[in-house]
This record gives sequence, structure tokens and C-alpha cells, in this order.
Amino acid sequence: MKANMGTSASFSSLAQRLSWSIRKYFNIFRIALVERLAYRSDFILSSALRLLPMLTTILLWTSVYIGSGRGELSGFRLAEMIAYLLLVHISRMFSSMPGLASGIALDIREGNLKKYLLQPLDMLTYLLVYRMAHKIAYFVTSFVPYAILFFLCRGYFDHLPDLTTGTAYLVSLLLAFFVGFYFEACIGMVGFWLLEVTSLLYIVNTLNYFVSGHMFPLDLLPEPWAELLKWLPFQYMAYFPAAVFLGKVQGEALGRGLLAEAGWAIALAVTARGLFRIGLRRYSAYGG
Amino acid sequence: MTRFFRYLKLWLVLARFALLHEMAFRSNFLLKVFVEVLWLTILLLFYDVIYSKTDTIQGWDRHQYQFFVGCYFAVEGIIETLFLENCHDFSHQVRTGNLDTMLLQPIDEQFLITMRRVDWSTVPNVLMGAGVMIFAVGNASTIQIGTTQGVLFLVSFVCAVLLAYSFLLMLTSSAVWMVRNQSLMELWWLFSSLMRYPREIFQNSWAWPIGRIFTWVLPVMLTISVPAEIMVRPLSRWEYAVWLVIATVMMLTLSRRFFRRALRRYRSASS
Repeated sequence: MKANMGTSASFSSLAQRLSWSIRKYFNIFRIALVERLAYRSDFILSSALRLLPMLTTILLWTSVYIGSGRGELSGFRLAEMIAYLLLVHISRMFSSMPGLASGIALDIREGNLKKYLLQPLDMLTYLLVYRMAHKIAYFVTSFVPYAILFFLCRGYFDHLPDLTTGTAYLVSLLLAFFVGFYFEACIGMVGFWLLEVTSLLYIVNTLNYFVSGHMFPLDLLPEPWAELLKWLPFQYMAYFPAAVFLGKVQGEALGRGLLAEAGWAIALAVTARGLFRIGLRRYSAYGG
Repeated sequence: MTRFFRYLKLWLVLARFALLHEMAFRSNFLLKVFVEVLWLTILLLFYDVIYSKTDTIQGWDRHQYQFFVGCYFAVEGIIETLFLENCHDFSHQVRTGNLDTMLLQPIDEQFLITMRRVDWSTVPNVLMGAGVMIFAVGNASTIQIGTTQGVLFLVSFVCAVLLAYSFLLMLTSSAVWMVRNQSLMELWWLFSSLMRYPREIFQNSWAWPIGRIFTWVLPVMLTISVPAEIMVRPLSRWEYAVWLVIATVMMLTLSRRFFRRALRRYRSASS
């Protein structure tokens, strides 16, 4: 009886703690969302300006297909190529994490990590929830410009994906968010060892633009480069979700791809946490 | 003329000061240069992949296009070295009210605001751009360069830099109206995407009216196209070259007026 009561008491306190924890992170989420929505006009303006490079990209690739005199380049028809280049923007909406790594590095350098260490708050979970709110605010504000863009470009999409492909696409996008988040967090953690990560971040981002397939589908590269890049985590931040949407990855390969993406997300999460733990041993809380 | 030399002397002092500052953080400087080398490599690789699939992009063959990319890199390098960082700073100064100090100096505001700091880390871009141009000309069998052509190229290149600068100045000035204009670098990147491709991609396409607007009304598409065309392929219409020169003079005047009007609208942050 006594043991039973003990179990139920600890169960209820666990439930209470869990509910507090959820409420805590929900409030962080809510505040971040309100903060982001305050600058909606700024968002809409910059999203509208984004149309310019898309326009030139479409025209460039149209010219390339006309010049080649072929209907298909590395398995991509012109319409598919342009659809791909539009879809990588959606991938990047999920996977890009502006300011995350530099923010972590700044917190380390200026001694601001204290605020996480002194409070019952896990830094990576806090940043993850915060980032989710930012992303949702970003999706809401950029929905209209993107809806207009995709409506104008609807001619490049011959058919919508079926239910399985559509579901797989959504899963791949969600995983892209986690891959992007933990990858960038890992770079931020380098701040424990290097005073300045901005330059490193520039290099990584510049390289990522190419190796993630943001510029063009990785299939256009000669072998073994295309195959090699598909073994790395970067493709999940741009190429993979777009390729899934277009039905370029199907059946067994699709399942394998999603598993690999989840694997990378977990591996990067473990690495980020590991680096944080090791880094904390070096951390000396500078600043006031 | 003495005024010009006075400003030149002042600029040289500022440039020297910036170089000293840069050399104090040498490894950072080298890293920044490395990023630029990486970016050019990626750009060239991108076009290499494209030209492995086709021989021509609207009449531009591989080496002609390489020349175009080199020319873009050099012009953009000069813009970044001399102006971009200063202009990027402007919105911050408007927001914080620090612009007051600048306006009180006994010197031309446009000079001080857009040219006071030289970003030495992008100087190699100009050299790399020139390198790509020389490489492209050396490898193309079809390109013959005469003296007239060389002179015309230099003139149009200078025009290209000045034209790009006046567009940048207008974008910068808009910060006075839109106080939260943090991402001038991004705005400039988005806007300059119109300079990065040959004008011809707009031809025979549904987008031709847009191409016309950015050629004749806001002539941003002439910036790289004209100097590159003068050098590596027969210029399709001489009107473009003439228009580039006229447009440069017009845009320089216009952007200066726009900038001064913006300054008149500036209210210090505290009021």
C-alpha cells in the first residue's frame, strides 16, 4: 500500500513537472512568435524582392535547355528543373538557421551561457523551440508571396505528388529542419574552442550552397561526385526533399533516404549535445 | 581640381588606416579572402557543369561567359572594396542617430558616408576577376582584341562601376524612410542578380518586358553586359554602349539628388 502510494505520488509529481515543462517551453514559443510577427512588413518586402533572382534563374535555365537542344538533362526536363529550383527554396525555409551558430558562439564568448546553466532550462531545447516559433512565423508571413510565386509558376509542375510521396515529402522537410538545426548548432559549439566562428560559418555556408544541391540538382554533377555528395548530410537540407516531391526518389530508395535523413538528424543531435557537454568543461563564464 | 586632390589625399589616409586595421587581424583577413576564392570557384564550377550540358547560352559560348563572370566579379569586387560596407553601415547610423556626427563634419556627406572605409579583404576579388577575364580571352580562339576595343572596354568598365554605385546609393538612401533596413547586403545581393546574367536571357521569353525595363528605364542589365560584349563578342547594338554612358551620368546625378533628399528627411534618433 505504502509503496503504491509512493509510486502514485511520484507519478503525479512527474506529471506535474512534465506539464510545467511543457508550459514553460510553450510560453517561450508564444513570446518568440509574437516577437517575429511584429516585423511582418519587413518580411513581406524581403520575400517580394526574392522574386528577382528566381526570375533570372528560370530564364537562365530556359536558355540552357534551348542551347543544349535536348529535352532532358541528367534526367530532369526543363519544367522539372525549374520546379526543383523553386522547391529547394521550400527545403531551405525549413533547414536554414540564420543566426543560430553565431548566437551560440556569442553566448559562449560573452559568458551568457550562465543563464542556461543557472536556470532549469536546457539550452538546446530552448533554442530548438525558439527556432520552431521563428520558422512558423516565417511561414505565416511568407505564405502569401510564396503562394503567388508558386501560382505564377504552376505551369512548371505537371502533377502533384500522390499521398505517399506527399507524406514522405512532409516528413523529409520536418527532418530537414532537425538536420539543419543540429548541424548549425554543432558549428556554434565550435565557439568553445575558437573565439570567432563567423568566418568558419561563412566558409561552411558557401560550401553548403553548392553541396546541398541549392544551386542545381546534384545529379548534374559527374560521377563519382554526385554519388559522394549523396552520402553526406548536406543534401537533406535542399536536394533530398525537392527530389522526393518530384518523384525522383521512390519505393525502397525513398524509405532508405528518409531513414538516412533521420539517422543524420539523430547523429548531429548527439554530436551537438556531446560537444556542449565537453565544451562546458572548458567554459569559464567570462563577462558579467 | 584642388578639391579633388584634397579628397584623394583624405581618401588615401583613410585607406591606409583601414589597411592597418585589417593587418591587425591578419588571420581573419586571410579567412575572408579564402571565402571569396571559394565563392569564385563555386561560381566557375557551376558554369562548368552547365557548359558540360550545352555549348551556348543565348549565343554566349563557354569562354565568352567566363569573361562575363570575371567582369562581374571584378566590378562587384570594386563595389565591395570601396562602398558596400559603408553603405551597409548607413542604416545602422540612421537608426541609432550616429549620423549626426557625420553630418557635422566639414566635408561632402556622400563621400564620407559611402567611401570612408576601404574593405581590403575584397581587393583580391578584383584581381581574381581580372585573372578570369585574362584566362577566358587567352583560351578563346575567336576573341581578337584591338586598341580601340581595349579603350572602349576600360571606359565601359568604369561606367559599370559608377552605375552599380549609383544603384547602391539609391538603395542605401531608402534606409532613411524604412528605418528597419538591416539587410542592405541582402537587398543588394537580390538586386544585383540582374547584373549577374547576360541581357539576352530575357530575349524571346515571356519576361521580355521586364528585360526592357531593366535595360532602358533602370539600366541595371547593361552594367556587365556592355563591357563584356565589347570585349568578347560583337556588340549587338551600339546604342547600348551609348546608353550605358548616358545612363551612368544620369544615374549618378539622380542618385546624388535622391541621397541628399533622404538626408533632408533624416531626423535624429532622439527627436
